[in-house]
Amino acid sequence: MSARAAARFLDQSSWGPTPSSIAELQSRGIDNWLAEQFAMNTSDLPDQEILTSAGISNNNLAPVQAAFFQNAVSEPDQLRQRVAFILSQIWVVSATSGVSPAYAYPPYWRIFRDNAFGNYRDVIKAVTLSPAMGRYLNMANNNKGNASLGTSPNENYARELMQLFTLGLTQLHLDGTPVLDANNNPIPTYDQSVVTNMARLLTGWTYPTAPGTAAKNNNPAYYFGQMFAVNADHDTTSKTIVGNVKVSASQSAEQDLESLLDALMAQPTMAPFISQQLIQHLVTSNPSPAYIQRVAQVFQDDGTGTAGNLQAVITAILTDPEARAGDASASAITPTFGHLREPILFMANVLRGLSATVAATNSVAGTASNLGENLFYAPSVFSYFSPQSRTAKGLYGPEFQIYSTQTAALRANAVNTLIYGTLGGVKLDLSPFTALAGNSSQLLDYIAQVFLHGSMSTQLESAAMSAMNAVSAPVTKAQAALYIVLTSSEYQIVQ
Amino acid sequence: MVTRRNFLSTSIRVGSATVGSLALRPFGLLPALAQNGSNYRALVCVFLFGGNDSNNTVVPMDSSFSAYTSLRGSLALSSTELTAAISSASGPPIAFHGKLPELASLYGSKELAVVANVGPLVQPLTQTQYKNQQAAIPLNLFSHSDQQLAWQTSIAQGHSPTGWAGRAADYISQSGVNSSGFPAFVSLAGNAVEGTGASTQPVAIGPGQSLQLTGFSSSSESQTRLNALTGLIADGSGVALVQAADDVLANSISDANALSSALAKATKLNTTFPNTSLGAQLQQVAQIIQVQSYLGMSRQIFFCSLGGFDTHANELPTLNTLYPQLSAALAAFYSATQELGVAQNVTTFTESDFSRTFQPTTAGGSDHAWGSHHLVLGGAVQGGKIYGSFPTFQLGGPDDTDVRGRWIPTISIEQYGATLSSWFGIPASALAAVFPNLANFASSNLGFLG
Repeated sequence: MSARAAARFLDQSSWGPTPSSIAELQSRGIDNWLAEQFAMNTSDLPDQEILTSAGISNNNLAPVQAAFFQNAVSEPDQLRQRVAFILSQIWVVSATSGVSPAYAYPPYWRIFRDNAFGNYRDVIKAVTLSPAMGRYLNMANNNKGNASLGTSPNENYARELMQLFTLGLTQLHLDGTPVLDANNNPIPTYDQSVVTNMARLLTGWTYPTAPGTAAKNNNPAYYFGQMFAVNADHDTTSKTIVGNVKVSASQSAEQDLESLLDALMAQPTMAPFISQQLIQHLVTSNPSPAYIQRVAQVFQDDGTGTAGNLQAVITAILTDPEARAGDASASAITPTFGHLREPILFMANVLRGLSATVAATNSVAGTASNLGENLFYAPSVFSYFSPQSRTAKGLYGPEFQIYSTQTAALRANAVNTLIYGTLGGVKLDLSPFTALAGNSSQLLDYIAQVFLHGSMSTQLESAAMSAMNAVSAPVTKAQAALYIVLTSSEYQIVQ
Repeated sequence: MVTRRNFLSTSIRVGSATVGSLALRPFGLLPALAQNGSNYRALVCVFLFGGNDSNNTVVPMDSSFSAYTSLRGSLALSSTELTAAISSASGPPIAFHGKLPELASLYGSKELAVVANVGPLVQPLTQTQYKNQQAAIPLNLFSHSDQQLAWQTSIAQGHSPTGWAGRAADYISQSGVNSSGFPAFVSLAGNAVEGTGASTQPVAIGPGQSLQLTGFSSSSESQTRLNALTGLIADGSGVALVQAADDVLANSISDANALSSALAKATKLNTTFPNTSLGAQLQQVAQIIQVQSYLGMSRQIFFCSLGGFDTHANELPTLNTLYPQLSAALAAFYSATQELGVAQNVTTFTESDFSRTFQPTTAGGSDHAWGSHHLVLGGAVQGGKIYGSFPTFQLGGPDDTDVRGRWIPTISIEQYGATLSSWFGIPASALAAVFPNLANFASSNLGFLG
């Protein structure tokens, strides 16, 4: 395969191509590379102390954030990291108005790392029983209603489990278009009575018991391990849940959960709903219905009769003809193809392209936060941006939701800091660029290879050339060219 | 391949409308607005993200209080957790949540009004119509994202790409009342559909943060590089998303220049703002209002936010943290408008996803509901009054969608927005283009702005 094809594939499947990763993919080929990535699991995030030395809750996520970017820049399990991060943007737990203790986050993130190429049913179950989600969407200690007190179980997790994590609001055909009723109106996937019934079904779970403490029906928050059922607090009456499934009375909390997982996995809307979001994150904001359908079919059945096989789904997304069109030449790419690099992807991509060495303590997350994406601090369970968000001219452009007049300027200024200043804990190696500065065309070719799949528009080329020609030293030439390319919208959009 | 076009000054702001769609002129021929500095008017939206439980923001202190106390159970505020009851010029006496003392005081001094049970509606809706689906029901009730959009777009049936303030800003820009191309809608809380119009693209700024590009000096090398950057943006791209990103950056550069030269004229306010996110946002709004004449603005809409209101559990401690921030920041902002001599010219109002179930959850919280009570603050506000009426506090009662106290609104967002917009300067003839459902309602002005 060509260097261009390899670079494009790696921009969709890793935190960013580098000269060495391009060469490696070229020599292995896509099938072997994917097989190696599926087998690899090298990244971890460091567990944190529960309490500070002063004995209060340790809410300092900086070491976890810093390790995340170290992994992104240097660890080889690139595709696993990308998919894990995407899953964590669907299944949001956040320290903003939510889960404060830092030690909650590494175990929660490992759910997505370890299930990135597993089965979606296992993701649903593992997150549902995770104490971090239990706290964030209030499923932990959600006791059955009490008639004498006039209370009902809260509906938070029940609602968002369907709306955000599995089904969305309206029924979809396999190609992602809405199913319409006789009056051409979309058909809801559930109604309020389903939410109420599912809230009852999900009652009776509490936090894991902290070591050295006695188990209680309503344990205090503890974020290692899984939640466990307290059937005395579980609503055992019958429920009618999603898909009009009748769950019979007298089941335990564990049995009810299995009934729910079966009912969710049986919903035909899940395959297009999840497939479309994975495509949008990895490849393009505006996939064709046919592309969504091809991937959703694999989600429904991986060829062995199994639904929800994420390894098969990711393979289908990355090897689809729509993703690969353009490998030979930019002219084969449709004008609406691609997606905006979100800030975390932007930072990781720039750093990898500039051969950065990232220290265990670094300021990368702080920059991404300035640009609108604060790792582990999504503004709400609706994440940093919505898959439904559109550009001013009406195309889908999820990441554009956080690309504003403010963050666009700050992104250019982040490039300035990286190229002309210093970012804490980050050491760049510009020597491959500086070495070529004696020949402007060669330098631009190399920059294009690293950051633009070997293809730079004539406009960008002449802008970079003009900036380079205004300076003379090799370092300043390399800096000027990199500044222009990395601030260009042509680079912000992964094509 | 894209051909290089002539250099287009990036001082021309890029809007979402093409020349062709502008030619549609949704407002027809515009009546002249009186325009002079003393005629400045600003609307300031404070969006409470997550769905504020307005059942505990203000509590009617009449015979309904015993129903409030028994039905709200663990969420019921006792008299020591409420402010003293304040008589209303119309409507029942009310008490505010005890952590909203500044707002209670402003209600007492008639500078703040309460609009009761307002929410997304396509048309007036009876309980029977709702339960039997006999009339248009707002799309995806009880969903955060959809109800935030309903509030921001005012169009309860959903799918509107533009917000009501954006459409109002379209009118303002087409009327020519603002003398510069700086956007009439300024967000301190990121991109917001509320301020997106057919031709209006909001400017988003961070409190205390400049939009200026850094790293450029006056040296010729530096200026060449800056020209390369701006020239590249002006070139245009045949790739749709590249062009979309270019448009954002072009607007940023253009707005940065206008804003920084105006803000250079700002002087320090004597008013002390609380050191909170909302305090910083409103302080920035006050500074921009201070220099509105340098920006060439006589009509502006601002958008600020405070999050964390999705209180399914542990609601009382959460609101005890959030309400002091809200109360102190709004009060400081109102003081700043007095200091600037524009208290009569600036109206601040709240929005939120929805209110919450009157019935509590087992974990001491409340779930997503519908109609909610909102606050309007300013020197022009006919305050100290309840506009509309509180629902009947009865689970499964006449105002309930079901049995948990999710109140069916009796005032639509469009009536709320139209009242604000009429004061702001949108004439009656243009209201239908801003609020397409307004004609379905008996009144287009709730009267809280005279």
